[in-house]
Amino acid sequence: MSAEDQSKRREESAGLMKYSAENLVPFGPIHPALKEPEYFKLILEGERIVQVIPRIGYVHRGLEKAAETRPWVQNMYMFERTCGICSFVHSLAYGQAVEGLTIYEVPRRAKYIRLIIAEMERIHSHLLWVGLMGHWAGFETLFMWVWRDREVVLDLVEAISGNRVHKSMNAFVGVRRDMPEGMEDRIVERMKFLVDRARYYKEIIDTEETMLERTEKVGKLSSETAEKLCAVGPMARYVGLQKDVRLNDPYAAYDEVPFDIIIRNEADVHALLQLRLDELVASANMISYAVQHLPDGPIRVKIPPIIPAGEYSAHCEAPRGEIFYYVKSGGGRTPERVKVRTPTLANLPTALEILKGQTIADVPIVLTAIDPCFGCMDRMSFLDTETNRQWTWSGEQLRQYGINYYFPERAKKCRP
Amino acid sequence: MPRRRAGAAIPEMFRTLIEKPSTQFYPYQKVDLPQRFRGKLDIDPEKCTGCQVCAMVCPASVITMVDFGTRKVGDRVLPVKRPVFELATCIFCGECVDNCAFNALEMTKQFELATPHKEDLVMKKALAK
Amino acid sequence: MSAITILEAIIFPGVLFTIVMGFLFDWLDRKTAARMQGRIGPKITGPSGILQPLADFLKLLFKEEIIPSHADKVIFLFAPALYFLAPLLSMLFIPIIGLAPTAGFDFDLLAILFLLAFAAFVVAVLSYSSASSFTTIATGRLVLQYVSYEIPLVLAIITSAIYSRSLSVEGIVASQTRVWNVFVMPFAFVVYIIALMAELEKPPFDIPSAKTEIVAGWLTEFSGRALAFLKLTKEVGYVFGSALAVSLFLGGPLGPQLGAAVPGWIQYFLYFIIKVLAVGFLIFVLKTALARIKIGQATELFWKVLTPVSLGQLALVLVIIQGGVFLAA
Repeated sequence: MSAEDQSKRREESAGLMKYSAENLVPFGPIHPALKEPEYFKLILEGERIVQVIPRIGYVHRGLEKAAETRPWVQNMYMFERTCGICSFVHSLAYGQAVEGLTIYEVPRRAKYIRLIIAEMERIHSHLLWVGLMGHWAGFETLFMWVWRDREVVLDLVEAISGNRVHKSMNAFVGVRRDMPEGMEDRIVERMKFLVDRARYYKEIIDTEETMLERTEKVGKLSSETAEKLCAVGPMARYVGLQKDVRLNDPYAAYDEVPFDIIIRNEADVHALLQLRLDELVASANMISYAVQHLPDGPIRVKIPPIIPAGEYSAHCEAPRGEIFYYVKSGGGRTPERVKVRTPTLANLPTALEILKGQTIADVPIVLTAIDPCFGCMDRMSFLDTETNRQWTWSGEQLRQYGINYYFPERAKKCRP
Repeated sequence: MPRRRAGAAIPEMFRTLIEKPSTQFYPYQKVDLPQRFRGKLDIDPEKCTGCQVCAMVCPASVITMVDFGTRKVGDRVLPVKRPVFELATCIFCGECVDNCAFNALEMTKQFELATPHKEDLVMKKALAK
Repeated sequence: MSAITILEAIIFPGVLFTIVMGFLFDWLDRKTAARMQGRIGPKITGPSGILQPLADFLKLLFKEEIIPSHADKVIFLFAPALYFLAPLLSMLFIPIIGLAPTAGFDFDLLAILFLLAFAAFVVAVLSYSSASSFTTIATGRLVLQYVSYEIPLVLAIITSAIYSRSLSVEGIVASQTRVWNVFVMPFAFVVYIIALMAELEKPPFDIPSAKTEIVAGWLTEFSGRALAFLKLTKEVGYVFGSALAVSLFLGGPLGPQLGAAVPGWIQYFLYFIIKVLAVGFLIFVLKTALARIKIGQATELFWKVLTPVSLGQLALVLVIIQGGVFLAA
């Protein structure tokens, strides 16, 4: 990083030393409000938060490096297991990135089936999130009801793919399994049920006084800040920005199945709740349409296990935002480089920004408003515990540091 | 604009109170699984020919081919192999089932696989023939 | 002090009965909340899970007690016992099996008010003595909430005392033979129930022990026996709060005659139990239906809404008394 950035960083961490330990509340890494461990240092004044300093890397598994030693198909299964809630979208983005390197086209029926499963995953994720919002706000009843209705979608996914979480539906090139017989009527009827339930939950969220007091005017963000901090997904759409990958750059069958993009303008957590429930209704309608208009044809084109050389990137709209995969092939059986950028990583600066000025009671609600999935997003970073300085290095800098550490004499000789 | 009030959920609460609870009381109550459920692997030893395709496509390296004798083809003697499955590592993806040309493999509905002995999860059924 | 009185004080309807009622309330709470949410609740320990609260209590008694290094050890170990005594002693002033309570005297309502304040003070001291970052925040919230709910609560209680012209619970119950107090002063009853929910830290007012925000609030650092008794005290406080509501507003154990064959104390006891369970059920429903609000909003609610309402109710009752519309016996 440049010299002026480094000096600015040093100033910032020196300024942080002014706050004494009494004003510091450690949020995490183990806390009842977090599903996955991450450490947030909350610096308070009374009950108001002045600054939040995150420290990530607690669930870093090194998947990008592990992908370099596994064949292409094995990576599909490995990336599916990055996250439980957005598992299909990970394998979809990876699959699309690799398919872009080959000459094969995805069959049309496979695109429709991919859309159906991806939208079912979106319904599942949004229902899970609404229930969690109820849980953090202390409204256990909403939590239990919403998670009971989530079973409807999980049962449908199990009937189609055989497993509730790791669907293993994607393949090169296409999908592995077709829709079973007689699923069409069942899916349409269950989607109607889910739409009714979503309407009821929207009514509860709009009228229940205690819920409104917890979620209104909390988590405010201006659209300029959202653009500057590169917010993606619902975090961009709740301030009025038109950012949706399904609209801006359609993949799978999103150019053929009609859908509305949901935008909200009052930027608070209540608007986020409404937005995700509206997206749920839109997804249910998309699934009903796709199931009733499924084209005939093959679902899969088998390809040889060697992918031609080149580099390609693909992005998809995960339930949390834009997920981005970059794949580089050297023409062999394993990839040379896979880079994953998940939406939670893009939304983390936004989360830190909207936490400023809130009270401690709002922290679980605001942190969960970005729908965090720390398992997907984790990165390695460096921390000097004495000066509290945090920084990141490129691969080349890390390699140079290793050489300097283990072979100091050789390093002294090599340096000019 | 709906009216704001406290206790908006109370009518539904009383409705849920008199209905049957939605808990499936596992393990005292059996769970009904769909037909495509991917559970523990099962192999039919009669149909397996030892073609090794399952071992090649498995993403988790669960299948090892072991020697099972020899056969004569013309005047050559060729080795015959059969698969041994280490089901503790299986990720239940179903690639082996899809790729077996002889339909020897299938996924059962058994999912309660926890055991204190690792040897229980090594399937040598294909060597039975 | 006869032997019968001592036996009554310890077993029935005194200490042991109160503890058993505490466990019963906990079980009812979990069962009704579960059924309203579509779940089952406790099921396996005992018929329909009725022994589950006892099982939880016994389990906690056997766990290891961990004391933080910079906590005040004396308070940490002994104050839970003080906190446990407050609602237990107060139950002795409630008439259950007759018009006369087990240990009543002429000004026992004042003793009850003192014990309520004492319990809140002990909780604040307990919370402050376990010095960790979460409990410090919890202490602040606790004291703020106490300051907010105390005035409407005491005003509601005093309103019924003023109307019944007596400062003993026995006198207040005895004055409701014709008309229950709740029909004369309904707003005081409503204010009392809401302030009771704040005292017991039930949603929407479970702010000081907010599970998802500050780990467990002021209960965070307790474990083992201390935690077992703290949790039991909350349940006993619940029983006591409902019993006080029944005595002050709903006529205590009074009710229409059941018949000559039923002995007096069984009739009184039956009416008392039914009324206490009804008040408890009302609080269960309210607790399950509402989310948790923030401490600033709770304070606003109490100071801007409930205090004026209870003051207005007191003024109304004084007008009724002056006007001579005196329905008490």
